Amino acid sequence: MVDDEALKRWFCQEVLPLEGSLMAFIRRNWRESGEVVDLRQDIYERVLNGARHALPEHATAYVYTIARNHLINCAKRSRIVSFDLVADLDEAYQSVEIFHPERQLLARDELKRAYTGLDQVPARCREVVRLRKVEGLSTRETANRLNIGIDTVEKQTTLGMRALVDFMLGGSGKVRRPESRGRNRQRGWS
Amino acid sequence: MSASEIEITAAEWLRRSEEPEWSVADQAALDAWLGESMAHKAAYWRLEHGWRMADRIRALGPSTGPAPRTAHRWPAWRYGALAASLCAVILSASLLRLERPRAAPAAVARFDTRVGGHSVVPLPDGSRIELNTGTRLRTNISERGREVWLDRGEAYFEVAHREGLTFVVHAGPRTVTVLGTKFSVRRDGDIVHVAVVEGRVRIDDSARDAPAASAIVTRGDVALAQGDSTLVTTRSIERVEGDLAWREGRLAFDRTTLAAAAAEFNRYNRVQIAVTDPAVASIRIGGTFQAANVEAFVRLLQEAYGLKVQRNGDRITISG
Repeated sequence: MVDDEALKRWFCQEVLPLEGSLMAFIRRNWRESGEVVDLRQDIYERVLNGARHALPEHATAYVYTIARNHLINCAKRSRIVSFDLVADLDEAYQSVEIFHPERQLLARDELKRAYTGLDQVPARCREVVRLRKVEGLSTRETANRLNIGIDTVEKQTTLGMRALVDFMLGGSGKVRRPESRGRNRQRGWS
Repeated sequence: MSASEIEITAAEWLRRSEEPEWSVADQAALDAWLGESMAHKAAYWRLEHGWRMADRIRALGPSTGPAPRTAHRWPAWRYGALAASLCAVILSASLLRLERPRAAPAAVARFDTRVGGHSVVPLPDGSRIELNTGTRLRTNISERGREVWLDRGEAYFEVAHREGLTFVVHAGPRTVTVLGTKFSVRRDGDIVHVAVVEGRVRIDDSARDAPAASAIVTRGDVALAQGDSTLVTTRSIERVEGDLAWREGRLAFDRTTLAAAAAEFNRYNRVQIAVTDPAVASIRIGGTFQAANVEAFVRLLQEAYGLKVQRNGDRITISG
């Protein structure tokens, strides 16, 4: 058994840098764009469950194989699978090289990306994240500083955190908001 | 639960884990949640990793936010916020000039470890800080001054000497000032414990300017400050090193009461030891243990001291 600490380290160092490629791969092979994030998380779960017994030597080929099998299984289950999809997937299997880890970001690149990612999120969300990250304020302190409610700060932090993480890992920096929110309020934020 | 719902829950946990109110019980609840499924771990680890990568924006410093893309569309509240942050910067600058900030002003960087955690933080000035279990601290290191706020827990400092530039550790009711030395500060609420391995440090009451309240602590000294009093005891350097055994993941006891030893173990582990019997609690023990190995410690109590051990989930009760 691999202990949690080693598993986590492997996941962060070997698997997460593949996220950009993995997302592109899922998108290319899955028609329902709303399901892409769910599929990615399912794949991560399977990747971790498999690696729990022994860490695979080649993370790229391993993640790719799990992603592919999972997509084929989901496609079979959904019964709307077209022959093309499975054929495409088989073809894609011939080219593992499309799956490549993002090169290690230098500190400078990381700063640039964090900066750009922060610029992508809505204004209020951005300010809340900035106060937290740059000035080290807690939720309570941020609420006092901006004179807004604690629960608003909590929601904005969570939202900003998800968006920024998505961007840092090579995504678009756009995330789905919790379902309960009304459309009008959403518009008011951005 | 869908993947996005799990992600939102994971983000909530991550946010809460950074709050000053985060407790050992909260950490236990998070660990339990993570233990529930690999999907929870995947979501949490991913967010935590990406969120740490984004820490780079600290380099922007408190006064320079990202430039707005469309400044004229800013809602009015942003101007208020901007004015407020400018005020805060000016305020903290004037506090620094007085050299006695009462509350921690905006800090540039924040570091923390969870229960059982241990991490080493190199600072831009060449100093380094080692964080022990359940520790949170903030640093503000610049050309003008070097300040650290120990919000909770324990840390070992190796301070690089910089001519004329002091290094100040604010630990609640006490302020520790140094020029270049190796020492550790531990904070249990209002009790501050300072052990010096090399060089010398000065401990002041954070609330008062009176030099009479200062205590100088040198190599081999251990200071315990609580309320108005600061007690300095000279110990052998071995004893000071015993206090710092946590740096190697060990706990060293020397004629320590069982109650105190159990409390030490509890700082590092989710499994908590309770000593119910006062006569048993005052038994003195000695030895060196792996901080994470509660089992070995409990086994010793059972076998060598003939004490009764009862287990109930994450709680181990010791009695005579």
